[in-house]
Amino acid sequence: MLTVDDVTFAYAPGAPVLSDVTFHVPPGQVVAIVGRNGAGKSTLLRLLNGLYQPATGAIVVNGNATSDTPVHLLARSIGTVFQAPEQQIFNAKVVDEIAFGPKQLGLTGKALDERVGAVLERIGLAGEAETHPLDIDASARRMVAIGSVLAMQPPVLLLDEAQRGLDKAAIDRLAKIIADEKARGTTVLLVCHDMDFVARNADRVLGLARGRLAADLSTEGFFTDAALTAAIGVEVPDMVSLSAALGLAPALSPERFAAAWMARNEA
Amino acid sequence: MALIDVADLAFRFPRAKELVLDGITLSIEAGERVAILAPNAAGKTTLARWLSGLLPEGVLTAERGHVAMAGKPFAEWSVAERATAIQFVGQVPSQQLTGCAFTVYEEIAFGPCNLALPEAEVRARVDEALTICNLRHLAERDPFTLSGGETQRLSIAAALAMKPRVLVLDEPTSNLDPESRDDLLAQLDLLPGGLTIIVLEVALRPSLALAKRFLLLDQGRIVADGTASEVLNDPRCIETLGMTAVTEAAFRLREAGRWPDATLLPLTLNEALDSFGAPRAHG
Amino acid sequence: MSAGKAGQPSLLFTPGESLLHRANPITSLALMLWMISAAAVLPTIGTTILTAAAILVSLVTGVGKRAVKRLLLTMTPIGVALVVVHGLLIERPDFYDHGLVSISPSGLDYALRVFMRVAAMLMATLLFVTTTHPADMLKALDQRGVPPGVGYLVASPLLLIEPFSDRAKAIRDAQRVRGLDMTGSWKARIKALPVLLMPLITLALSDLDQRASVLSGRAFRALPRRTVINAPHDSTFQLWLRRLLFTLAVLQLGIPLLWR
Repeated sequence: MLTVDDVTFAYAPGAPVLSDVTFHVPPGQVVAIVGRNGAGKSTLLRLLNGLYQPATGAIVVNGNATSDTPVHLLARSIGTVFQAPEQQIFNAKVVDEIAFGPKQLGLTGKALDERVGAVLERIGLAGEAETHPLDIDASARRMVAIGSVLAMQPPVLLLDEAQRGLDKAAIDRLAKIIADEKARGTTVLLVCHDMDFVARNADRVLGLARGRLAADLSTEGFFTDAALTAAIGVEVPDMVSLSAALGLAPALSPERFAAAWMARNEA
Repeated sequence: MALIDVADLAFRFPRAKELVLDGITLSIEAGERVAILAPNAAGKTTLARWLSGLLPEGVLTAERGHVAMAGKPFAEWSVAERATAIQFVGQVPSQQLTGCAFTVYEEIAFGPCNLALPEAEVRARVDEALTICNLRHLAERDPFTLSGGETQRLSIAAALAMKPRVLVLDEPTSNLDPESRDDLLAQLDLLPGGLTIIVLEVALRPSLALAKRFLLLDQGRIVADGTASEVLNDPRCIETLGMTAVTEAAFRLREAGRWPDATLLPLTLNEALDSFGAPRAHG
Repeated sequence: MSAGKAGQPSLLFTPGESLLHRANPITSLALMLWMISAAAVLPTIGTTILTAAAILVSLVTGVGKRAVKRLLLTMTPIGVALVVVHGLLIERPDFYDHGLVSISPSGLDYALRVFMRVAAMLMATLLFVTTTHPADMLKALDQRGVPPGVGYLVASPLLLIEPFSDRAKAIRDAQRVRGLDMTGSWKARIKALPVLLMPLITLALSDLDQRASVLSGRAFRALPRRTVINAPHDSTFQLWLRRLLFTLAVLQLGIPLLWR
């Protein structure tokens, strides 16, 4: 559960980076935050996890206002996976890295082992538990960063370009993690340049343009508004363009496109 | 003789159990536009460094085989010769900066200055690179204050200013939004045809617009080599890197027996529009 | 050029158009060395005049505010320490009892001499660093054929301070959002230190490796000399001025030594 109310933020007076941003995200929804480089996505992310404070307006994460909750306590409500996993990894073993967060929460013994084991399984690194995180491939390292956050079971999860540089197996694994979190009732926010990934995984899209919330629509509604996607500077996924060109209902994935195409050509 | 020749290259990092590169043999001709596709942990970045002549280096030597450019193994090239022959741009933008320049302009000029070129020549090269990579408005900025996408463009500009014959780019567009990516690809496309470009990618789509020849690297070996259609339809490519969304859509139709056997699966939106008989969106 | 340099790493450099700003950095360096050498040998009255003159010049060139602030920040504690140690603590024959404390005039005299000497040297250095941009210094060294490696050794710490502190901040943020408490007790903060330092050190090491390969890729040190663009202005007058200043600097130091 996440509430952003009329938030404005500026690094320097008179030059707002974000203006009048308002949105609410219920539990169990996957929301993509999209926009050009410099549209304010990263700033919004840092407001949500409390690293920045809004100049005006308020942000409430799982019942905690970011303005009066210290960042390290807010971390129990909102987990962030940053773009550079190397900046947060410090343990000599993958398993210790995953266990760090739950230990901070006071978990010990069997409960801790179970939680860490389950996370290692989900990120596909059960076989690398004892390996040094810097001795594994960069994409696996990103999975370690994701796992270290999942292990804290935050009700809100922020993923910043988590899909970048991942191959098919890793992308599929990430999609599964997102779907599982959604099913558990986690609020998931994706900051993402890859519109195909957005189309396949997000329920809703928030489009930022020059620091303003220029779009807040269902994923389908967003990608079928050509003027809006152009103004926000994102690509329309090929599946949406193809189904539009063929006069089909907009399809967000190849699966749905194939189904729609067959259904029509059956009739 | 090809421009770049890799002959049975095998390499492992010191104390590592497994080979990273396991008998790579390939040739790249002058002027080719090549995409090397590779799943995670396949040896992509290591191969890129060998292709660029940054390896061998110190204790990092080949177990067998070598890489040669214009018939001469890289081990025999001087630093200046190599720097003007081939340029490598790695995937973490901030790690491509020299740390020797106070401005974007000086960062691009750094390499040409090291070659002791006449000042007018240095300026002409910097000017050209600023235009190609759309950096003119940032010329006086401190390189370390740029965004990820801007830094990526800067590192490509600095490589181009060396006027290399070959440009090796490791995931060159991963930090760019679609507009900056399209701008950069269009500019790279405009470069004189003599420049050989090798890109290394995990994603399938970015290189479709740029490369004519595709290779698939998996577990340290080249397992496919051919046109986009040949390599992207290769079962091993589909298994490790998946399909583009349009290919997957057509593939699902074929699985359901609803795709004509004679028709190749489309790779891009335009190909798909053609195969489905729909009017093309943009030319 | 100078206006565009405002946003670049430069430590104390203050943009301006004064004679000192426009002088070749090597000339400014020669002036600084001459002043330091003079400060080393002049009596208190001389160093006082020298300091006053340097302050006057700094005010005229527009760097006064920054330079004088730094001078006061550094010299105030030194001054206090000198007075206490030499005036009050060290026993001298001329100790003069003031009731509560004993003061030695010769000790105070000595304290003043040292104080003014240090102040003059510091002011000479401040005048140099506030009017000379490190980038121009680097170019001037390149231009004079100083090996590129040496110039890099001078410049890179200045250049890399900023990315390094940005990195440290990014790591701190990344760990805070993982639940690391950095507002609590000293014990908690000390416990947090390895969590912050480990990624910083590993990343710095990996950066070093990367940077070496980037530098070799750009032909750094491939040739004995490199081209200098936007070379700082120089003139025959400045060349002779420098020779004079260097000679004076050496003679000032040397002659009193020979005399004794």
